[in-house]
Amino acid sequence: MCLGVISWALFSSFDIGIKTINDFSLRNVDGKYISLKDNEKAKGYIVIFTCNHCPFAKLYPSRINKLQETYAPLGVPVIAINSMDSMLYDEECFKFMQQKSKENNFNFPYLQDASQEVAKDFGAVNTPQAFVIWRDGNRWVIKYKGAIDDNGESPELAKNFIAMAVNDLLANKPVSRPTTESFGCKIFYRK
Amino acid sequence: MNKLQILILVGLSLTATQSKAQYNKLRIPDTMSGKTFNLVLKDTFTQFKTGQTTITAGVNSNFWGPTLIFNQGDTVHMNILNKLNDSTTVHWHGFHLPAVMDGGPHQVIPPNTVWRPYWKVQNDAATYWYHPHLHEMTQEQMTKGLGGLIIVRDAVESALALPRTYGVDDIPVVLTSRRYTASNQFVFKNSAYGDYMFTNGTTNAEFTIPKQVVRLRILDAEMERSYNLGFSDNRTFYIISSGGGLFDKPIAVTRLPIHVGERYEILVDCSNDAVGTTFDLNSFNSGQSQSFPGGEPGTGGEFGSLLNNKTFTTLHFTVGSATAKPITTIPTALRTNTYLTAADATVSRTINITNGNPGSGIPFDLDNKPFNLTTINHIVTTGTTEKWTVKNNNVFGHCFHIHDVQFKLVSRSTGAIGAYESGWKDNFFISRNESVSFVARFVDYADETHPFMYHCHFANHEDGGMMGQFVVTGTNGLNKALNQPFLFSVYPNPAKNNLKIELGQNIEAYYVTINNVVGKTVMMLPQPEIGQPIDISNLSSGTYFLQVMDKHTKSVSTQKFIKE
Repeated sequence: MCLGVISWALFSSFDIGIKTINDFSLRNVDGKYISLKDNEKAKGYIVIFTCNHCPFAKLYPSRINKLQETYAPLGVPVIAINSMDSMLYDEECFKFMQQKSKENNFNFPYLQDASQEVAKDFGAVNTPQAFVIWRDGNRWVIKYKGAIDDNGESPELAKNFIAMAVNDLLANKPVSRPTTESFGCKIFYRK
Repeated sequence: MNKLQILILVGLSLTATQSKAQYNKLRIPDTMSGKTFNLVLKDTFTQFKTGQTTITAGVNSNFWGPTLIFNQGDTVHMNILNKLNDSTTVHWHGFHLPAVMDGGPHQVIPPNTVWRPYWKVQNDAATYWYHPHLHEMTQEQMTKGLGGLIIVRDAVESALALPRTYGVDDIPVVLTSRRYTASNQFVFKNSAYGDYMFTNGTTNAEFTIPKQVVRLRILDAEMERSYNLGFSDNRTFYIISSGGGLFDKPIAVTRLPIHVGERYEILVDCSNDAVGTTFDLNSFNSGQSQSFPGGEPGTGGEFGSLLNNKTFTTLHFTVGSATAKPITTIPTALRTNTYLTAADATVSRTINITNGNPGSGIPFDLDNKPFNLTTINHIVTTGTTEKWTVKNNNVFGHCFHIHDVQFKLVSRSTGAIGAYESGWKDNFFISRNESVSFVARFVDYADETHPFMYHCHFANHEDGGMMGQFVVTGTNGLNKALNQPFLFSVYPNPAKNNLKIELGQNIEAYYVTINNVVGKTVMMLPQPEIGQPIDISNLSSGTYFLQVMDKHTKSVSTQKFIKE
């Protein structure tokens, strides 16, 4: 029994480390503020860093909608966060976030991380980049970090890494693929 | 059947399989002509392999950019819009122009900003190119695909009986290679050489070459690899131009080494080839000297690749019918050049290639000084002819490039200078334990503030700091900026499509920028012609600040205007 516990801890820390993230309070496109603690029933969250102008991120809205449809009822809702510097990119302003959410029929919150603090906490480097965080007592632990799937242009051929990770977690199994290469538009952090 | 007959049969069937190799039609970039050129640099993606799409960047396209055609004597106006996720620069490689228009590391264009350089094309007819030059980001941005060719036409070249039908008998051949990650993304860190050949952004490229004399404009657009070019049947071909212009007459060769940043134009005569036959433009990169970039023996890692130290095909040709008005002979004479000689130089300088020793942790640099944006390494007096000697007592060969001028190589410590590099150039390769001298004349465009660059053109080396800068000045020193505010006006105000600036006496606009209310620069106008209207039709409505820097004092003044 003891050995089993130790090896389980070793296995998950070997993969991506025990990285916890802090809760936050960010403004959604409907003007309301959202925190992780708001949804007491959530087992975890799918957090996707995306933005308005990145051509690669623009391939994903309908796939993100689908993830919300599938996993919110199972207790793992989706949250999208825009951490791009809106001074550097006019199109990343809040007004355009609202426009994009409406045009793409987002069924998930699209939050503005204007200070880029949340992105820094997660260690997000580009858009789109996906994280799956899981509730562990009163902490949130990153269980998956990387790309949404393995095919930007052909969703029908894509293997969805988020789905794989969430399915593992819902079945109380360790995540078989906790990290994948993510790429897209770099998130430039203000100094 | 006996064993020998079986072996022959197997051999034949293997050959048959090879000849059915899949080729892709060589992409020929679009051309742009005239005097005004609108280029949009954008981040995008391209399907190069099955599975995940590859993130790329292109100019008016998803990879690489259009071939610009300039006429000598024209003043060309560029409208460069940066739609990349990152800042960038666009360097006009090989061109003589004001330093502030050069597009080197100082002319940073932020995302969503327009840059409008313009200059009189003084360069002679040859093939040049444009590419990013943002410090520490050059390898990444070039690898993603940014760049394009520039063809300059002049009266001398136009009078010659040379192939000139672009895409038909006058073909751009841009050589580079790429390595992929497991997710099909280009590798641009800790990797000098690609694994797969890309010719004009096409893999396994094939071209139907008409049965006549054809011109190939070849550019080595690699990060580091050199190509030792020749044809698969070792046929003779004729070099007619190096980076800065035509030779006096064509040079007959069977091999041509080309290094990063260099351009050569060659003529290949297919008049005697039967239609339907094939031959290849190969790179004979095996058994090269120890400092030949791409000759290292590894098949992977930072200094190896699947294309290292071997012979590989860069372009497959299938001979097609001749065109209606073919060129059928190689000209005997091209141009009368008056080259500079060592005796013409009144000033000599030495540049030493230093550091970069494996295990030292110190990247390659020049004269033991890593590149610093605020250090002027050399001050050149306008109108001077100088001899520069580059000395390489270093572990590897390098490809030296200087901005602003075309030079003449006057000596190599290792022996004679090959005929193919005896014309006007702006790049040369320097091997280990070699000294190379060139002579160049530095004229026009005196500017004590904005420098030109000289550097190793291996993208990873220049990003690492193997670069220096020089100013060409009217005076033998740097003026100090005086803070003398001055008045000027912009009209009409509010304005909808065009804006004009009126300056007081003694004020000459050195630089004009237009910034939005949050202080972000939206337009960069180096040395604009004050009488000419500024096109602001693409700005969104709102309040802007137009800032003028005076040339003489470098003082800055600002006026607010409203765009309707």
